[in-house]
Amino acid sequence: MLSQFEPEHGAPKGEVRRDFLKKLATASATAWMASEPTRLFALPDGAKILNPQAKADSIIVLWMGGGMGAPDTFDPKRYEPFEVGKEVASVLSTFPAIQTNVDHIQISQGLENIAQVMDRATLVRSHVQPDLGSILHSRHQYHWHTGYVPPQTVACPHIGSWIARVLGPNNPVIPPFINIGQRLEGVGEQEELKAFTTAGFFGSEYGPMNLPYPEEAAVSVRPPKGMELSRFQNRHKFFKKLVDSNPNRDQMSDFQRDSMIRSIEGAYRLLESKERDAFDISLEPKESYDKYDTGRFGRGCLLARRLVEAGARYVEVTTEYVPFLHWDTHADGHTTLERMKKEIDRPIAQLILDLEASGLLNRTLVILASEFSRDMLMEGQPGSDAADQAEKVDRLMEMKHYGLHRHFTGGSSIVMWGGGVKKGFLYGKTAPERPCIAIENPLNVTDLHATLMHAMGISPKTVFEIEQRPFYVTEDGKGQPRMELFA
Amino acid sequence: MPNSTKMHQRVRQLYIRQTLLWVFAVTTFHSAALAQEFDFAHRIVPILQKKCGDCHAGKEKQGGYSINTRESTIEGGDSEKKILAKPVEESELIRRILSDNPDEQMPPEGERLSKEEVATLKEWLSLGAPWEPGYSFGAEEYAPPLKPRRPNLPPAIDPTRTHPIDRFLDSYRAELKLPVLPTIDDAAFVRRVYLDIIGLLPTPSEVTNYVQNPELDKREKLVRELLNRDMDYAEHWLTFWNDLLRNDYSGTGFITGGRRQISGWLYNALVTNQPYDSMVRELIAPPTEESAGFGMGIRWRGTVSAGQTVEIQFAQNLGQSFLGINLKCASCHDSFTDRWKLTDSYGLAAIYANETLQIHRCDKPIGKEAKAAWLFPELGNIDAALPQKERLKQLAELMTHPENGRFTRTMANRVWHRLMGHGIVHPTDAMETKPWNEDLLDFLGIEFSEGKYDLKELIFLIATSDAYRTQVERIQERESQVEYRYAGPQAKRMTAEQFVDAVWQLTGAAPKAIDAPVSRGLPNDPVNKVVGELQGKWIWAESATQPSGPAAGEKIVFRKKFSIQGEVTRSSGVITGDNSYTLWINGNKVGEDGNWESVELFEPSKFLVQGENEIVALGANGGNGPNPAALYIEMLVETEGGVSRIATSTDWEVATGTPDSQGKLSGDQVKWRPATEAAGPWGGRLKGELQQSLSRGLSVGNKMARASLMKGDFLMRSLGRPNRDQVVTVRPTELTQLEAMDLSNGQTLADWLKQGGELWHSLVQKAKAEGKDEKQVIGQLYLQALCRLPTDTEWGAIDELVGQEIEAVEMEDILWAIVMLPEFQYVR
Repeated sequence: MLSQFEPEHGAPKGEVRRDFLKKLATASATAWMASEPTRLFALPDGAKILNPQAKADSIIVLWMGGGMGAPDTFDPKRYEPFEVGKEVASVLSTFPAIQTNVDHIQISQGLENIAQVMDRATLVRSHVQPDLGSILHSRHQYHWHTGYVPPQTVACPHIGSWIARVLGPNNPVIPPFINIGQRLEGVGEQEELKAFTTAGFFGSEYGPMNLPYPEEAAVSVRPPKGMELSRFQNRHKFFKKLVDSNPNRDQMSDFQRDSMIRSIEGAYRLLESKERDAFDISLEPKESYDKYDTGRFGRGCLLARRLVEAGARYVEVTTEYVPFLHWDTHADGHTTLERMKKEIDRPIAQLILDLEASGLLNRTLVILASEFSRDMLMEGQPGSDAADQAEKVDRLMEMKHYGLHRHFTGGSSIVMWGGGVKKGFLYGKTAPERPCIAIENPLNVTDLHATLMHAMGISPKTVFEIEQRPFYVTEDGKGQPRMELFA
Repeated sequence: MPNSTKMHQRVRQLYIRQTLLWVFAVTTFHSAALAQEFDFAHRIVPILQKKCGDCHAGKEKQGGYSINTRESTIEGGDSEKKILAKPVEESELIRRILSDNPDEQMPPEGERLSKEEVATLKEWLSLGAPWEPGYSFGAEEYAPPLKPRRPNLPPAIDPTRTHPIDRFLDSYRAELKLPVLPTIDDAAFVRRVYLDIIGLLPTPSEVTNYVQNPELDKREKLVRELLNRDMDYAEHWLTFWNDLLRNDYSGTGFITGGRRQISGWLYNALVTNQPYDSMVRELIAPPTEESAGFGMGIRWRGTVSAGQTVEIQFAQNLGQSFLGINLKCASCHDSFTDRWKLTDSYGLAAIYANETLQIHRCDKPIGKEAKAAWLFPELGNIDAALPQKERLKQLAELMTHPENGRFTRTMANRVWHRLMGHGIVHPTDAMETKPWNEDLLDFLGIEFSEGKYDLKELIFLIATSDAYRTQVERIQERESQVEYRYAGPQAKRMTAEQFVDAVWQLTGAAPKAIDAPVSRGLPNDPVNKVVGELQGKWIWAESATQPSGPAAGEKIVFRKKFSIQGEVTRSSGVITGDNSYTLWINGNKVGEDGNWESVELFEPSKFLVQGENEIVALGANGGNGPNPAALYIEMLVETEGGVSRIATSTDWEVATGTPDSQGKLSGDQVKWRPATEAAGPWGGRLKGELQQSLSRGLSVGNKMARASLMKGDFLMRSLGRPNRDQVVTVRPTELTQLEAMDLSNGQTLADWLKQGGELWHSLVQKAKAEGKDEKQVIGQLYLQALCRLPTDTEWGAIDELVGQEIEAVEMEDILWAIVMLPEFQYVR
């Protein structure tokens, strides 16, 4: 068909040309074979991916691991006090509602301090989760933290890793993704937790720095136990001398050696920097420390604040997920929540006030969330075939029966502060009677992520190619930021 | 994946293509003469390549637009707008290039086209877009062959290099005029081959023996010797296989019983060097439950997307692990990047499925049932009517069919990659891409199958080539934009397991027990017969018969005299105590432990004497009130005369009290009486572990635990050991900052190095006591870690660090600095 362009056979010009073309073709061919994820800047339809203007530089996720029951926290319903013989079905909330400093918003008793910062908050009462059949907390947590329901064909990155990968650190010496409060060893479902507490296919460079104990965070940026700083630095000096005088320099590739040494230098830079003080919550003035010190979570909030002040990008603080503990109430729910609220109420409110005072709240998005809500009766959501996992009683006989002991995925609450979201704003609604499903403006994980990413200046269509497939920051690139939430 | 619309576009594009071809034939006719003069190669190719290539060439087809060929270039993208328009200003190509609309302009970012470049493109378009015949911006379409092929062995160009691999490579290099890199010295070779074949650092004497060996065939002998170290070989390659087969000792899925290990089966397969084809047959059509875990995948509780059911996982894992085929795309929709279709994935999945499988496209059923089918019908097919077990057997036969060259090439390529650092096809999971040397790959593949799929022979073949002992290639840039050309092996970063093993070798810090549920050593080791059934009894004093058990805090001393005649050839002992014990043999303390749920292995021989011996143990009960208490000991001592077994029984004596540091219980009050069998809650609980440990003690001796047999801990995960939820065949190649932090101040490594510092310091003390030069000890450390002595400059740095006297902390710091060196962390 193209015969009219056939060059004369044996023409030297044609030879040269073909050789030149062959080189060009092969050069581009190898570039496509790279096995690492590559970022794409346009969509399959050719549209350029445009990132929104960032409203926040940092994000703090306050994670209520284990399923925080909305009716007993941020979405109070009809309250029924404990009474022996009372019909379980009559109870929606086990705490009365209290007034916040926003006229039209009431939340649950025990959250009095948070009630006083609601005028800075956007409260979403219509967060919904998919029905995954049988409830496994860590599976919903995986979904919430990666945007994808496991299992997946590739190792999905945590949203902290996405942000670290796309935005990089705010301050080059502070790791961009810091994960506070969750132990990954010695707890139930630990392997499932590890499966999403990872950078996945982005590689460990973008993975979390895990600080399970806030009070021990300083240790992780200090020389190892029993080693004085002078010895630590001396050791480093010695190492550098060995590197410089290494006789086998030419026995490996420059990029391998350079990148390795760069990483070691980077590590030392943090370990010797002034920013490492941010990790040491014992340096906080006592008065301020005490305000946060309600337990591990409270101290985690303090650590998060210090880290954000020092330039952390993504910080997550969890009440810690341990099966059947904390928010994961399978019995004694009411009593447990009295404690949980004591642990979270003061530090969260203080975190908001402190960030506001330092002016950082404008550029920091704080979000409180959980993998799903809870209900006294309903497991999963209406129509679900999820199996019941808690003791079933029709009437309250003992205090241990009193609480939201079932996993409810039809409507949960999220609270957001700062980062450009509206103030004193209530969004979404759940039904006043059981099933308390979201009946107004349901917001799923995909759109919630799009909203978070939007605040951080990341398009929900941000996409990398891995194993020959496009992989998006929100599921299949479909996330739509909920613009109504922004001021 | 959200791409059902894309399917429709394709159909439409085909239609448009027909139309355009016709238009094209007319336009080109007029300008043919001018077009022939137009220098497409030098004037157009660079512009298109630079400005459009990133998103529209090769596999990239943003907006459905590809510039790979002339047809696709003028056909336009999904917008269906004309490229060859008249006047040329109306061409969509020109319009987008000139547009200032950020949503439309091309290229979307980076430098715009210069005026000259735009003018050139216009001229070219106005001539009907003349093209170099046959030229494509895309990679040449490469269809990998299926059948095996024995390529002609090229003549040896250099008469001293006759190994077939070198003959292939020399002829390749001659053709491309590439130089041969120098050979590495013997010491460097020893380090490389030890780390590659058994994953351990050679000891200084192993290095010296090799270096000083004058034999001409010492290289072949060493490779053979290492391959014959069955246990070391198996425990190193286990890492590779666990990654490839997605097997681990902990991980997602185990908690809900949705996953099963194949650890025991895999260990035995490796330690006995089971042929690869036979391994794969047992993985696909498991003869016992032992190897069923691979096919079963991971079953999550609750509902799972159609692209991740266990049947689909089966198809994906099978394709990736054994054939280097990525069926992940085709599990959801027909692949956009290769030939595999949704029906191919479902065909494989249906072989495994026990019930009819509905085909889902992008998670939605399309109303069609999957039919069991195999990917390469040229080799035969599956009888879908047969029951699952029979179908799997058919699949196993097809996979390992002698004519399935894809199967052997895939594994040969993986082994080449492990040893040489860069695949002949690279990445190794993308076997549809063109190898840089087809003859070499085909040769390795056919040698592998004709060599009865013997993995060790395949390794032997590669490791005895001159290519393998060539200096590593130096690469300046990480992502090279030029075509890969073989220059020599590439340095490989140590795997997490290699690093940890090497640190344990240097520090003696390896744990005592392993996590993997395997019996180390050879399964048919005669010691297993020797061990046989356990003979011991759980014993205590009379208080054991009390209904609620002995009192809390009760301390009982146990003793037994026995006699040994002749030299002890080997021995093994196991002990466990509820709640705690201390053990002495002949007045020497053997050990103690306070965990009643663990079994400890000890090596009695060094405490034993010929003739009369005495074993003494102190048992202590814990708790707050009466609770069960007992002690269990069993010991096997082999001499030339046979095996004696010393095990706790009512023949032992007990007394109440606390012995001294030599295990002696003195005083007039001591009353020795027969032990009582304890009826506690232990039953068979620790039986398996006791037996396994005892046998391991005999066969394994005090062999170091290996990282591949441990659960993936924090440090190993940080160093790139995957979670193994998916098949992951390639580990990260570079050390990251977070990893560097873990290595610089993480407690795990710090503790090991502290132990190592003390160990090496004790050697320093010993040298000093013997009047030797203490610094020689540091030389030994260098030899062990790097297979060389320090240079003068390095000695200078060391002298400066240690000053007058070598302290334990200084040895610890030297250890740290050495293990952090790129020279240490790379296999080069």
